[in-house]
Amino acid sequence: MGAEQAWLLAAIPAGMFVVLALFGRKLPRGGDYLGILAIGSSFVLSFFVLADLLGTEEKLGPITKAIDWTQIGNFQLRMGTFVDPITVVMFGVVTTVALMVNIFSVGYMKGEPRYWWFFAVLQLFAASMLLLVMADNLLLLYISWELVGVCSFLLIGFYWEKRSATEAAKKAFITTRIGDVGLLIGIILLWREAGTFNIQEIIQHAEEGHFSSAYLFVSMCFIFLGAMGKSAQAPFHVWLPDAMEGPTPVSALIHAATMVVAGVYLTARLLPVFEVADGTTLIITIVGLVTAVLTAFMAFAQTDIKKVLAYSTVGQLGFMFVALGSGNPSAAMFHLMTHAFFKALLFLGSGSVIIATHHNQDMSKLGGMWKKLPITGTTFLIGSAALAGVVPLAGFWSKDEVLHSANSEWGPWALAIAGGAAVMTAFYTTRLFIRTFMGEPRDAHVYEQTKEPGWAMTGPLVFLAFLAVVSGLVVFHGVGKVLGFPGGITEFVFLEEAEKYSIDWGLAALSLLISATGIGIGAWMYWGNSTRRSTSLATSYPRAYDALCNKFYFDEAYQWCIDRGVLGFSFLVSWFDRYIVNDTGVDGSAQVTGFSGYTLKFLQSGKLPNYAMGIALGVVALAFAGILVRG
Amino acid sequence: MATEVLWWIFATAIVAASAGVVLSRSIIHSAIFLIGSLAGVGAMYVFLTVEFLALVQFLIYGGAVTVLILLALMLTRMGVSGLPEKVNGPQAPFAAFVGVALLSILVYAAAATTWPNNISDKPFPISIETISEKLFVDYGAPFVIASVLLLVALVGAIILARQEEGE
Amino acid sequence: MVPLENYLVLSAIVFSLGVYGVLARRNAVLILMSVELMLNAVSLNFVAFAAYLDPNRITGAIFAIFVITVAAAEVGLALAIVIRLFRNRSTSNVDEAAIMKW
Repeated sequence: MGAEQAWLLAAIPAGMFVVLALFGRKLPRGGDYLGILAIGSSFVLSFFVLADLLGTEEKLGPITKAIDWTQIGNFQLRMGTFVDPITVVMFGVVTTVALMVNIFSVGYMKGEPRYWWFFAVLQLFAASMLLLVMADNLLLLYISWELVGVCSFLLIGFYWEKRSATEAAKKAFITTRIGDVGLLIGIILLWREAGTFNIQEIIQHAEEGHFSSAYLFVSMCFIFLGAMGKSAQAPFHVWLPDAMEGPTPVSALIHAATMVVAGVYLTARLLPVFEVADGTTLIITIVGLVTAVLTAFMAFAQTDIKKVLAYSTVGQLGFMFVALGSGNPSAAMFHLMTHAFFKALLFLGSGSVIIATHHNQDMSKLGGMWKKLPITGTTFLIGSAALAGVVPLAGFWSKDEVLHSANSEWGPWALAIAGGAAVMTAFYTTRLFIRTFMGEPRDAHVYEQTKEPGWAMTGPLVFLAFLAVVSGLVVFHGVGKVLGFPGGITEFVFLEEAEKYSIDWGLAALSLLISATGIGIGAWMYWGNSTRRSTSLATSYPRAYDALCNKFYFDEAYQWCIDRGVLGFSFLVSWFDRYIVNDTGVDGSAQVTGFSGYTLKFLQSGKLPNYAMGIALGVVALAFAGILVRG
Repeated sequence: MATEVLWWIFATAIVAASAGVVLSRSIIHSAIFLIGSLAGVGAMYVFLTVEFLALVQFLIYGGAVTVLILLALMLTRMGVSGLPEKVNGPQAPFAAFVGVALLSILVYAAAATTWPNNISDKPFPISIETISEKLFVDYGAPFVIASVLLLVALVGAIILARQEEGE
Repeated sequence: MVPLENYLVLSAIVFSLGVYGVLARRNAVLILMSVELMLNAVSLNFVAFAAYLDPNRITGAIFAIFVITVAAAEVGLALAIVIRLFRNRSTSNVDEAAIMKW
């Protein structure tokens, strides 16, 4: 088993999806153990792939395997897998988080209707996501891109009895669809010039300068549109908070750790081409910065714990894009990995709180949960600290890398904006933690009923907390050497040449200061879980508070566009359909036939002289025509 | 010269008789005019030196056909009321238009065609030997078929016109 | 003698008169008589062409013989039909034999 069999990682969950979809209803316990088995085997196999990759001589990979798929005219289409360090990092992230989520779901989804279907779609999702990260050509990537979108739709709308869930699923699908159209256009544009879908060949084509620069700029902008849609960057961010309607394990898996990072993965994979197209990297960085700041503001006013985490996810994705725009894919993938672990931890922790309080997600009713939920609370604290960037947890190292790359590529202004977003991140994370777990409980009734969930849910929390602590340390040379890749992650994933990791002490101190500031402000404002200071702040600036509460009115603006634009256009189309196609085309042709039949029947008078007249007139007419034609 | 004048007289007679056939108010008068017209055409055949055809024309048309027509006229009269009945149908004007149009077309065609230049004013005399030779040798098959046709017509007419049982 | 066109014009006139008769007259026998006129005019035309243009093969004259033959047979049959029509409907007016209409 080596990297050439990497396709097995996707095939096993895909096969299990088919089994569960067909038979899951009848299996005992809904077949959840089968799902865990499938993901578990992918998890184990990913280590084999890693070992195989590390075993290749000096340059790390890439290991490919492709088969001839079809031939259309002169064009030969080959589909296959492509394994390189980025792929392996994604494998690790996806299989680990998917495994934890599958185990967690055993406890979370107990007693839910359609239990078996949940696990089936989880398998399908894992298969499509793994296929996405190992696709060697853009066509296969697009297919799996759409598949993960479908799984997201199915899972967000899992509780389809609730109207809000179906609306959220629709919104997610349509918003990402708009991005996907851009992605498809970009793929087609690239294919037209490069003549191939294969990613490595496109990169080579671009680096040799065969694309005209304006053409490449436009194509890469379209591709980035797809990444923006899937990764919920502004202005496409509106679907992710609504996607919290889905069950919490889904939020943890899809909307924190794996699907939303597909955009990051795509950009990282095509980063050499982005580097060739001038200006695209600046666009990427600015989109990331704007998104990070915007969503950090929006997270201030949210009271639903899952929504706060959702906005935080979008903001952290913005950070990853900043790193990519600064030309540092190792920082982006590193932050992707650490973020996946601690964000999944946070989401699963909130899921634990939700189950424990019998589906109460509103922070205004929670508080003081630490005494009742010790394991959840401790792991949630670790996750929050990692998110806020407290040393030596994982978030500190990766966020430091992101800030470092932003500073070195773009200068202090980028650093300042990113740093500001980081301060806000630390602030609202602190707010979340304090209001949920500390101080006095706000709703006694809810407090009485809470109790710690079983090991199925707390086990993954502990494991993910462990990862959140240690995964940041892979940046060091020593740790990397032990695990098999000397030089740490910066020499594992790199763009042009490996960068030796060195600690920039000034920047490290700045990061610590940022985290401390955020945490400090949060602690000061919400000390003892009192909202006195925050409410007074809110009443002093009512309009700003309203803007924050309504998420800067993005949704209202989009709805207005839909009402005016889409419905107006559809009115036009329906008018055309009713009057032109139906009345004139369909009814009209029938009526013309009927009318002409009605008038023509009077020719049949039954009288012989009339018929004779017809003959005679015909002959005369023909004779005239003949004379006219022949002269 | 004289034959030309004679020809013109006969031509006028034919036209007048034909006009009488189609325009006369009395049906019997139309039948009489028909005899005249057919006879005139027979005379034309004499001018064209096919005397055999003229003979055939007189015999068959003048003898058999007109007698048959008169017979049918007498058998299908409903009773002589004495009043002149309407002889023209409702589409008479259109018929006139059609007739005039047809006439103009035919005359135009006749005038506008260039005939081969070995044509003279005089028709080529045709002898009866030529006719018989052509009729029985070259066109023998149609001749025999025509006789079968006459037999069929005979039998058909009998069947059509006989009285059924109980009529 | 007269040129060919004279014969053609003459037969054209008779033919047109026959057409008028077919279309305008009400009595079935009268229509038949007009048809006879038309056939006659056509025969005259054929014989004129044969005499002036085709002296070797005189196809037109042979044609005229056959026309006369067939016309005679046709008159016999047509009159049988008219007699039958008269028996059924007590009228020989073609305008009134109009059952097969829409």
